[in-house]
Amino acid sequence: MLLAYRCAFASERVAATAIEANEFPQLAQELGVWAVPRIVIDGEPRWDGAVPEPEFLRRILAAA
Amino acid sequence: MREWFAALERPVELLVAVGPEQTPPAGARDVDFGAEMVKVCEGLAELGDGVTWRVEDEPDGFPRFPAVSIRPDGRDAGVRYDGLPWGYELGSLVGAILEAGRAEPSLRSESLAELEMLDRDLVLDVFVTPT
Repeated sequence: MLLAYRCAFASERVAATAIEANEFPQLAQELGVWAVPRIVIDGEPRWDGAVPEPEFLRRILAAA
Repeated sequence: MREWFAALERPVELLVAVGPEQTPPAGARDVDFGAEMVKVCEGLAELGDGVTWRVEDEPDGFPRFPAVSIRPDGRDAGVRYDGLPWGYELGSLVGAILEAGRAEPSLRSESLAELEMLDRDLVLDVFVTPT
Protein backbone atom coordinates (compact mmCIF):
# COMPACT_ATOMS: atom_id res chain seq x y z
CA MET A 1 0.00 0.00 0.00
CA LEU A 2 2.77 2.38 0.91
CA LEU A 3 4.31 2.25 -2.56
CA ALA A 4 1.05 3.47 -4.08
CA TYR A 5 0.88 6.25 -1.51
CA ARG A 6 4.51 7.19 -2.14
CA CYS A 7 3.81 7.48 -5.86
CA ALA A 8 0.81 9.72 -5.20
CA PHE A 9 2.73 12.03 -2.89
CA ALA A 10 5.56 12.19 -5.43
CA SER A 11 3.45 12.86 -8.53
CA GLU A 12 0.44 15.09 -9.08
CA ARG A 13 -0.56 12.69 -11.85
CA VAL A 14 -1.09 9.79 -9.42
CA ALA A 15 -3.94 9.31 -6.93
CA ALA A 16 -3.90 6.38 -4.52
CA THR A 17 -6.61 4.96 -2.31
CA ALA A 18 -6.61 2.01 0.05
CA ILE A 19 -10.03 0.38 0.04
CA GLU A 20 -11.00 -1.87 2.93
CA ALA A 21 -12.47 -4.81 1.03
CA ASN A 22 -14.69 -6.11 3.84
CA GLU A 23 -16.46 -2.79 4.22
CA PHE A 24 -17.20 -2.43 0.52
CA PRO A 25 -18.06 -6.02 -0.44
CA GLN A 26 -20.08 -5.16 -3.54
CA LEU A 27 -17.23 -3.21 -5.08
CA ALA A 28 -14.76 -5.90 -4.03
CA GLN A 29 -16.93 -8.56 -5.66
CA GLU A 30 -17.30 -6.55 -8.88
CA LEU A 31 -13.52 -6.33 -9.12
CA GLY A 32 -12.98 -9.96 -8.21
CA VAL A 33 -11.05 -9.32 -5.05
CA TRP A 34 -10.15 -12.74 -3.64
CA ALA A 35 -6.66 -11.95 -2.45
CA VAL A 36 -5.08 -8.80 -1.07
CA PRO A 37 -3.50 -6.53 -1.78
CA ARG A 38 -5.26 -6.35 -5.15
CA ILE A 39 -4.08 -3.46 -7.29
CA VAL A 40 -6.63 -1.80 -9.54
CA ILE A 41 -5.55 0.89 -12.00
CA ASP A 42 -8.16 3.19 -13.51
CA GLY A 43 -10.86 0.71 -12.51
CA GLU A 44 -9.14 -2.32 -14.09
CA PRO A 45 -7.84 -5.11 -11.83
CA ARG A 46 -4.13 -5.57 -12.55
CA TRP A 47 -2.42 -7.87 -10.08
CA ASP A 48 -2.46 -9.31 -6.57
CA GLY A 49 0.30 -9.14 -4.03
CA ALA A 50 3.16 -6.89 -3.08
CA VAL A 51 6.02 -6.32 -5.54
CA PRO A 52 9.34 -4.47 -5.17
CA GLU A 53 9.46 -0.78 -6.03
CA PRO A 54 11.10 -1.08 -9.48
CA GLU A 55 8.54 -3.68 -10.55
CA PHE A 56 5.67 -1.63 -9.11
CA LEU A 57 6.78 1.37 -11.17
CA ARG A 58 7.23 -0.75 -14.27
CA ARG A 59 3.71 -2.11 -13.94
CA ILE A 60 1.93 1.17 -13.34
CA LEU A 61 3.81 2.85 -16.19
CA ALA A 62 2.86 -0.04 -18.47
CA ALA A 63 -0.77 0.56 -17.52
CA ALA A 64 -0.55 4.28 -18.34
CA MET B 1 4.62 6.62 17.28
CA ARG B 2 4.97 9.96 19.10
CA GLU B 3 8.63 10.06 18.06
CA TRP B 4 7.71 9.40 14.45
CA PHE B 5 5.10 12.14 14.42
CA ALA B 6 7.45 14.56 16.19
CA ALA B 7 9.85 14.10 13.27
CA LEU B 8 7.31 15.18 10.63
CA GLU B 9 8.85 17.83 8.40
CA ARG B 10 5.56 19.45 7.43
CA PRO B 11 2.03 19.46 8.88
CA VAL B 12 -0.43 16.75 7.87
CA GLU B 13 -4.18 17.21 7.89
CA LEU B 14 -6.62 14.32 8.07
CA LEU B 15 -9.94 15.17 6.43
CA VAL B 16 -12.48 12.65 7.65
CA ALA B 17 -15.57 12.08 5.53
CA VAL B 18 -18.17 10.31 7.65
CA GLY B 19 -20.84 10.22 4.95
CA PRO B 20 -24.59 10.29 5.26
CA GLU B 21 -26.27 8.69 8.21
CA GLN B 22 -27.08 5.12 7.25
CA THR B 23 -27.83 1.69 8.58
CA PRO B 24 -24.63 -0.14 9.49
CA PRO B 25 -23.77 -2.92 6.99
CA ALA B 26 -24.72 -6.50 7.77
CA GLY B 27 -22.40 -7.97 10.33
CA ALA B 28 -21.44 -4.59 11.69
CA ARG B 29 -23.72 -5.01 14.72
CA ASP B 30 -24.04 -1.55 16.24
CA VAL B 31 -20.70 -0.24 15.05
CA ASP B 32 -20.88 3.31 13.75
CA PHE B 33 -18.02 3.22 11.26
CA GLY B 34 -18.00 6.98 10.76
CA ALA B 35 -17.75 7.66 14.49
CA GLU B 36 -15.02 5.04 14.81
CA MET B 37 -13.08 6.69 11.99
CA VAL B 38 -13.30 10.01 13.82
CA LYS B 39 -11.98 8.36 16.99
CA VAL B 40 -9.06 6.81 15.11
CA CYS B 41 -8.04 10.11 13.52
CA GLU B 42 -8.57 12.05 16.74
CA GLY B 43 -6.34 9.54 18.53
CA LEU B 44 -3.62 9.82 15.90
CA ALA B 45 -3.69 13.62 16.03
CA GLU B 46 -3.20 13.49 19.79
CA LEU B 47 0.16 11.82 19.19
CA GLY B 48 1.78 14.80 17.48
CA ASP B 49 1.25 18.53 16.99
CA GLY B 50 2.00 18.12 13.30
CA VAL B 51 -1.15 16.09 12.71
CA THR B 52 -4.56 17.76 12.67
CA TRP B 53 -7.99 16.49 11.72
CA ARG B 54 -11.39 17.80 10.74
CA VAL B 55 -14.68 16.22 9.77
CA GLU B 56 -17.10 16.79 6.92
CA ASP B 57 -20.15 14.72 6.05
CA GLU B 58 -19.83 14.33 2.28
CA PRO B 59 -16.96 16.42 0.88
CA ASP B 60 -16.30 16.46 -2.87
CA GLY B 61 -14.18 13.64 -4.24
CA PHE B 62 -15.22 10.99 -1.72
CA PRO B 63 -17.16 8.13 -3.38
CA ARG B 64 -17.26 5.92 -0.27
CA PHE B 65 -17.71 6.46 3.44
CA PRO B 66 -16.23 6.59 5.93
CA ALA B 67 -12.94 7.65 4.45
CA VAL B 68 -10.01 9.85 5.28
CA SER B 69 -7.91 12.03 3.01
CA ILE B 70 -4.28 12.42 4.08
CA ARG B 71 -3.18 15.94 3.18
CA PRO B 72 0.37 17.33 3.36
CA ASP B 73 0.16 21.00 4.32
CA GLY B 74 -3.62 20.63 4.01
CA ARG B 75 -3.29 20.02 0.25
CA ASP B 76 -5.32 17.29 -1.47
CA ALA B 77 -2.60 15.00 -2.84
CA GLY B 78 -5.07 12.35 -4.01
CA VAL B 79 -4.34 10.02 -1.09
CA ARG B 80 -7.23 8.39 0.78
CA TYR B 81 -8.09 5.44 2.95
CA ASP B 82 -11.65 4.26 2.32
CA GLY B 83 -13.18 2.36 5.20
CA LEU B 84 -12.12 1.99 8.77
CA PRO B 85 -8.47 0.94 9.11
CA TRP B 86 -8.91 -1.93 11.53
CA GLY B 87 -6.06 -3.79 13.13
CA TYR B 88 -3.04 -4.32 10.93
CA GLU B 89 -4.30 -1.82 8.37
CA LEU B 90 -3.89 1.02 10.84
CA GLY B 91 -0.26 0.76 9.75
CA SER B 92 -1.23 1.87 6.24
CA LEU B 93 -2.83 5.04 7.58
CA VAL B 94 0.11 5.74 9.88
CA GLY B 95 2.46 5.10 6.96
CA ALA B 96 0.53 7.56 4.81
CA ILE B 97 0.82 10.21 7.53
CA LEU B 98 4.57 9.67 7.79
CA GLU B 99 4.94 9.87 4.00
CA ALA B 100 2.80 13.02 3.85
CA GLY B 101 4.99 14.57 6.51
CA ARG B 102 8.17 14.16 4.47
CA ALA B 103 9.52 17.27 2.76
CA GLU B 104 11.00 15.11 -0.01
CA PRO B 105 9.58 11.94 -1.64
CA SER B 106 10.93 8.66 -0.29
CA LEU B 107 10.93 6.88 -3.65
CA ARG B 108 14.21 5.98 -5.36
CA SER B 109 15.53 8.64 -7.74
CA GLU B 110 15.01 6.21 -10.63
CA SER B 111 11.36 5.83 -9.66
CA LEU B 112 10.88 9.59 -9.48
CA ALA B 113 12.36 9.94 -12.96
CA GLU B 114 9.95 7.28 -14.25
CA LEU B 115 6.97 9.06 -12.69
CA GLU B 116 8.06 12.23 -14.48
CA MET B 117 7.40 10.37 -17.73
CA LEU B 118 3.69 9.98 -16.97
CA ASP B 119 1.68 11.92 -19.52
CA ARG B 120 -1.75 11.24 -18.08
CA ASP B 121 -3.41 10.84 -14.69
CA LEU B 122 -3.49 7.42 -12.99
CA VAL B 123 -5.87 6.26 -10.28
CA LEU B 124 -4.48 3.46 -8.11
CA ASP B 125 -6.90 1.57 -5.87
CA VAL B 126 -5.40 -0.99 -3.54
CA PHE B 127 -7.82 -3.40 -1.88
CA VAL B 128 -6.75 -4.39 1.60
CA THR B 129 -8.15 -6.27 4.58
CA PRO B 130 -7.38 -5.86 8.25
CA THR B 131 -5.78 -9.29 8.69
